[in-house]
Amino acid sequence: MANFEPKIVAFLCNWCSYTGADLAGTSRMKYAHNIRIIRVMCSGRVDPTFVLKSLREGADGVLICGCHPGDCHYHEGNYKCLRRYEFIKQYLTEMGIDKKRIRLDWISASEGKQFAELADAMTEQVAELGPCRVRSIMENVT
Amino acid sequence: MKDSRIGVYICWCGTNIAKMVDVEKIAEDIGRLENVVIARNYKYMCSDPGQDLIIKDIKEHELDRVVVAACSPRIHELTFRKALENAGLNQYLFEMANIREHVSWVHTDREEATKKAADLVRAALKRVSYHEPLDKLSVAINPATLIVGGGVAGMSAAFRLAEAGKKVYLVEKEADLGGQAARLDLSFPYLNTVSSFLQPLIRKVKEHKNIKVFTGQSISEITGYVGNFKTTTGINGKLEDLEFGHIIVATGLSNYDPSPFKNYGYGRLPDVITSIEFEKMLRSGNIKCSDGKPPRHIAIIHCVGSRNENIHEYCSRTCCATALKYANQLRATFPGAGIYDLYADMRAFSKACEELYTKTSTKDVMFLMFDPERSLPEVKQADWKDECNMLIDMHEILSGENVEVPADMVILMTAVEAQKDAKDIAHAAGISMCGNHFYIEKHPKLDPVATTTDGVFIVGTCQGPKDIPESITQAWAAAARVLAGISRGTVTVEVTTAVVNEEICCGCQTCISVCPYTAISFNEEKNVSEVNEVLCKGCGTCGSTCPTGAIRSRHFTDMQILSQIEGMLNEGKVKETHKILEEA
Amino acid sequence: MNNRIDTTLKADLKKFGLQSWNDCFHCGNCTALCPLTEDANLFPRNSIRTMQMGLKDKLMSGVDPWLCYYCGECSDTCPRDANPGEVMMTLRRYLTSLYDWTGLSKKFYTSKVWELGAILLLGGMVVLAFALFFPTINPELTADGGVRINSIMPLQWIEWADWTMGIIVAGLLISNLMRMYYKIAFGAGAVRIPLALYFKEAWQLAFHFSTQWKFSKCDGKRYWLWHWLLMSGYTIMFILIMVFLPWFQTEEIFEVWHPQRLLGYYATFGLLFGLTAVIIGRIRKSNAKFKFSHVSDWLFIVMLFLTVLTGILVHFFRIYGMPMATYYLYVAHLAVLVPMIMIEVPFSKWSHLAYRPFAIYFANLRKAAMKYHEKTEISLATT
Repeated sequence: MANFEPKIVAFLCNWCSYTGADLAGTSRMKYAHNIRIIRVMCSGRVDPTFVLKSLREGADGVLICGCHPGDCHYHEGNYKCLRRYEFIKQYLTEMGIDKKRIRLDWISASEGKQFAELADAMTEQVAELGPCRVRSIMENVT
Repeated sequence: MKDSRIGVYICWCGTNIAKMVDVEKIAEDIGRLENVVIARNYKYMCSDPGQDLIIKDIKEHELDRVVVAACSPRIHELTFRKALENAGLNQYLFEMANIREHVSWVHTDREEATKKAADLVRAALKRVSYHEPLDKLSVAINPATLIVGGGVAGMSAAFRLAEAGKKVYLVEKEADLGGQAARLDLSFPYLNTVSSFLQPLIRKVKEHKNIKVFTGQSISEITGYVGNFKTTTGINGKLEDLEFGHIIVATGLSNYDPSPFKNYGYGRLPDVITSIEFEKMLRSGNIKCSDGKPPRHIAIIHCVGSRNENIHEYCSRTCCATALKYANQLRATFPGAGIYDLYADMRAFSKACEELYTKTSTKDVMFLMFDPERSLPEVKQADWKDECNMLIDMHEILSGENVEVPADMVILMTAVEAQKDAKDIAHAAGISMCGNHFYIEKHPKLDPVATTTDGVFIVGTCQGPKDIPESITQAWAAAARVLAGISRGTVTVEVTTAVVNEEICCGCQTCISVCPYTAISFNEEKNVSEVNEVLCKGCGTCGSTCPTGAIRSRHFTDMQILSQIEGMLNEGKVKETHKILEEA
Repeated sequence: MNNRIDTTLKADLKKFGLQSWNDCFHCGNCTALCPLTEDANLFPRNSIRTMQMGLKDKLMSGVDPWLCYYCGECSDTCPRDANPGEVMMTLRRYLTSLYDWTGLSKKFYTSKVWELGAILLLGGMVVLAFALFFPTINPELTADGGVRINSIMPLQWIEWADWTMGIIVAGLLISNLMRMYYKIAFGAGAVRIPLALYFKEAWQLAFHFSTQWKFSKCDGKRYWLWHWLLMSGYTIMFILIMVFLPWFQTEEIFEVWHPQRLLGYYATFGLLFGLTAVIIGRIRKSNAKFKFSHVSDWLFIVMLFLTVLTGILVHFFRIYGMPMATYYLYVAHLAVLVPMIMIEVPFSKWSHLAYRPFAIYFANLRKAAMKYHEKTEISLATT
């Protein structure tokens, strides 16, 4: 689909990935405009319901970023997030939603460039899948 | 959505935001939405007049929530929270939308950027009405300080604090204090002996009644939070518990081993040595080659391991001035020898270092330039009939020629690196490392010695390559910060912690199993979980684990985040009054 | 080519007039504003670099120092006061001494004792020769009231002596020139030059030799004029003495406007004007090129000046009938002129009259050859 611009909600942990995204900003790196960031203290805070809510409200993809394994500011929160991520992917697949719409990645506080590249990659990844029809279907049903 | 009286402020940040985002339009559109009492746009919200605007509006319009769309909350969230406090409103009834670092600075399409900024503002708008007033907790500060690392930075900080009458625990992993400085002979640019100031410092630190020195020991784990840290250190089974209010990390650097660098011949040719090995020679007062004879030609090669995308991309900062120092010392020792300085750049920027370069250039030192991105010098064994032990092949870019440099001794200016155990200390102290394993400061300009973990400071070369004056300056800066904290007596602790709704809690104890700080305990009597507010660090892992939603991560509750998602992806309801006006 | 760094070269060059060797830090300002440098030969910075690193072979196989005409603009603008102009001058002295296979040039440049000694020796030999073999002059005046100058010794003998001296000196200079050519043509970076080009570019040789046109590009017409007057004066005098001595050294006194006298006066004027300008310049250090004066610089000026002065006096005394004065000044004239020619032409400053035009010639040959090779490569590629 040529001109489809996906909407992607991103959950970034305060200590590493949000700081990394800030660094991408201060370094004036340019990336796709489709990402909308929500700050959480730790990627471990990301509840599967957040992912579902995002898709329900019309997001086409959800990105979760945390600290690199071993570097979590709260020691193990990112491992818990990783576990949940595997569960969410499975759950979405069972619901008939392509699991490529959700992505977990590790961004450290000094990885501004990597965040910019990730934003572009995620946008491309989701754009290829086309719009997520969860919202339109739900709105027709209710 | 709850009823609120919200004030929204869109910042121009000069042209930083306004250039790429139509701030006026956003303010106008937001002003039409429900619960928005007032929507303004202003050039510099963080300035005094900007903040006064908020304070005035809160009082005049009886606002009970405030949204500011500007830079990253990591920069000015505290600033605006204070403004709310000054206006008499609880500082947690505030939310920031990041439309600079995350929008105007990273996008190029003004229309798309404005749309995205509007989405983020609406998200903040919806979320803020679910914010609750929270009160900060005050805890007492233990006036003792732990300093990890007994080099020149650690000792300087220790001495400053001790002189102010505060107790210091200085833990050093080596057998002696002194760190890298103890390995040096003279210092640049004035070529004074390092020991002339280092030894007195070591003695002062060892003898000071307020400093307890632990040598040959290291730190493995630190628990607690600012004002109340705990650790255990010990040697040979004799353990000691330490309690302190602040931590200064001064673990220093290590030196790069150039053995993998085939073209320099380190380890293969006996007279190729590192700068630290040369310092040892200088301190012993005896400079000679491996065959015992004095060198007739000495070559100094810069940037060994530094400025190399395969090893360390960074510049090690002190080697150029050190190389000049060596050239001067060599010339003083061997008046007739050939001294060659093979450099990629001459970075002599510190005070009096350019003068050192000028002085060195009058001492018959030959400066030969190579391009580190094009070709590095290669050291090879010379022929028996050559008048030197080794020859260095280099492409000299000032002349454009491939030349041979004779050398009886080659000194490699090796890079400085983070300590091998930097990661362990980082985990123990709760600080972050950058890609090169140096520690990250909170903000290079706004807070250069602090870290994102309150109460923990980083000083000296563990934060990045620097020279002795810079290390000492940072050490004293951190000591001043610690003293300021101690003199306040108490520290306020963030209360964005978890709290259990005992009525909903079913006692499954899942939250207890996931808490990394063992901040949750189980109340056997009530059969519910209980959170220790002081130990809880507010990560929120329990919040997303609880099956019933009994445990809430304050200021990051489910309702707040879900409404944020909603606000982001929906247009927002226009006020009835506005609808009437628009239809008319 | 030996490309090993040699720290001894700069020490050697001190005696050739090198001030300080390490001041230059290669900003390139000098090369950027040099009016005579071009892409094929960039100087003076590269020459200074070669000197700093002691790459003698590269130095000898290059012509750059000869392409510099010491306008001094580089020295004026050098941010480190490294005197690039004087470095180029030093390199010219050094190259002169390297081209010379006898080793005398090096001795004369590096040792005042040798140079002065040689001058005194040769001068002394001339005086002695006269004292022994031609001790008198016919005191009788001519019908015009002039001195019988050719009574000192047979004119033919002077001519033969002149030619002998000329052949020796020319022989030495030409042999040194051949060494220069050899080093350049077969040194590093040498290009094979097709024979035809030698003839094609030869006109350049004649042109630059006679006009010293490069001077005018350097710092405007003023210095070019001074030098041209000096050079034309000397050349005319040279031709008059070497080729037309019988016509020039006569006992007959011609009218003032006679070509023999006019040419002589012009030559004298040219020489005097040029010399005076240079002497005043060197004393007042008015220009960057006059700031530093090596012993060889002064000796050359002084000897030429004395030659001109004694020549003027000989002419004056001859016309106004003072035989003894004429005799003594004539001997003095030759006692200065012979050492000057014998030392300066093959071994010292005079040699630039050959090295400079040939340096331009070689540089142009190389440029033309490279263009030629490029063209043939292109045509080969397209066939």
